[in-house]
Amino acid sequence: MIIAVGGGKGGTGKTVIAVNLAVYLANRNHKVALVDLDVDNPCTYTLLKADLRIVSHVYSFKPKIIEDKCSLCGKCVENCPLHALVLIPGKKLLFIETLCEGCGNCIIVCPQQAIVEGRSLLGKIMAGEYNNLKLVVGELKPGERKSDEVIDATLNYVLKVFNNYDYIILDIPPGTGRGVYQAFKPADLIVAVTEPTMLGLHDLIKLSKLIYSMKKKWIAVINKYGLPGGIYSKLKAFLEDKGVKYLLVPYDLNLVKAYMNGKTVIMEYPETESSKAIINLGEKIEKGEF
Amino acid sequence: MTLELVVASGKGGTGKTFISSNLAFYLNSKGTKAIAVDADVEAPDLALALGGIKEIKWEEKFYGKIVTIDYSRCIGCGSCVAVCRFNALNMENGKPVVDEDLCEGFGACALVCPVKAISFIDIERGYIYRGTTPVGLDVFTGDLHVGEKNSGLLVYNLKTMAREAAYREGFDIIVVDSAAGIGCPVISSISGADLLIIVVEPSKQSLKGALRLMDIADQLNTEAYVIVNKYDLNVNFYETIRREFGERIIGKISYNDIVVEAYARMTPLLKLYPDSKPTLEMIDAFNKILEEMRIR
Repeated sequence: MIIAVGGGKGGTGKTVIAVNLAVYLANRNHKVALVDLDVDNPCTYTLLKADLRIVSHVYSFKPKIIEDKCSLCGKCVENCPLHALVLIPGKKLLFIETLCEGCGNCIIVCPQQAIVEGRSLLGKIMAGEYNNLKLVVGELKPGERKSDEVIDATLNYVLKVFNNYDYIILDIPPGTGRGVYQAFKPADLIVAVTEPTMLGLHDLIKLSKLIYSMKKKWIAVINKYGLPGGIYSKLKAFLEDKGVKYLLVPYDLNLVKAYMNGKTVIMEYPETESSKAIINLGEKIEKGEF
Repeated sequence: MTLELVVASGKGGTGKTFISSNLAFYLNSKGTKAIAVDADVEAPDLALALGGIKEIKWEEKFYGKIVTIDYSRCIGCGSCVAVCRFNALNMENGKPVVDEDLCEGFGACALVCPVKAISFIDIERGYIYRGTTPVGLDVFTGDLHVGEKNSGLLVYNLKTMAREAAYREGFDIIVVDSAAGIGCPVISSISGADLLIIVVEPSKQSLKGALRLMDIADQLNTEAYVIVNKYDLNVNFYETIRREFGERIIGKISYNDIVVEAYARMTPLLKLYPDSKPTLEMIDAFNKILEEMRIR
């Protein structure tokens, strides 16, 4: 079963829920892989203190110009939709890497075969273990923009290597864009983690639109339940109106403390309220209630 | 000249929108003409933190290109599928089908199609608008449709609109609330800014994001300062952050439930609790930022 833990807004507790859920399921002797797809800033491994090794690098296509063969005809320049190729007539063909999205039109149109497949480093895929839990982490190289391609490569790796696992838990980046869409694609169940603020609700509504357009099964977790001034009735009304099952994870300083110290709350404070709620979520998933 | 200040964090949920909404409100209330830009187009919340949009002053749709296939011409040869580097074309029952969510509209497929069956169409990807909030501050914000790409380009468009408006109407400062992360929309948010404020909370996870963001700021040659939010949640780790960033730390803000309450009531903390501890700490940080920018 592939479970994607998303939420739209940043900081609702996606990583905390994903990590604790994965640790719970692994403790119950299931074969579990936790996959960090928040490639801009993956932080599952700071909570698990797993030693990671690089299992693969992620490259992106970029054209490589063979100057000896180039006749400076300008066909590639005409067909480059992002103007990443510039011709100084009679002199030189320039390639501006930051503008290139890697469509490969230049290779197709070059009559001299003067442009060939090249590549640039985008990021890396790392793997490690925390007790019997497997951890896979995708990480974007700072300064690179193509987060989505690193997400894709990490997912492909996971689906190939861990396809016989009982549970694959995906920690999804914030947002509702292409990266999140890609990450939701293989999921059997989406767990949307939200918080009782207008901002949390607003982003949850937006995320639900994406989930419905993809026809995915989903449940919600209202994290930080009990925060003073929270907007519980609106949030519950939205979920009940949609017929979506939800669980409450109480606002709990022990959870904050564990998180701030880089630890998992269910291991540090197994008896605290938030741990009980996350364990309850795990039990329901084990029983196939969703 | 209009100054541009961007608030970002690397990691989500550290308090970017909290800081940027209060900063824009603060500037406006003390007579500096400010305008705010919500560059988190995948999850835009800045206007909500300022009380919601009261009136939309201007609105524009944001289009992208995708390809479309003329099946009366298509011979099902599959050349298009083979050259697409975005997995946006798949053969179904002997004919290629476009995945509109993945298509970038660059048209490698059109270049190789032997029967010229592929052409381009515009598709709405989102919209940008300018709205007024109840606290008297205008917000430029965008909303990218779910599942869409090109948020970097949308951010660029949004910032261009805000800059033009600032020039026309004489705003002193543009406050940009960035998306989380360090990817495309974040680089778009930072590029061209005069100053970057990195919001960090005292956790390893957040510090790591902040360091990655600082790396980008250095690559882009953007001056960057750090505000440590919720610093009292882990005082030991705050010391680690202090060692890491040294003089680049321009302020620290303590954690308090009234911050959440202000969010829930969709009112800047500075307005709701003008004398609270986090308010005063925040104002102190803002004044230092203004000092740095010499527009006090």
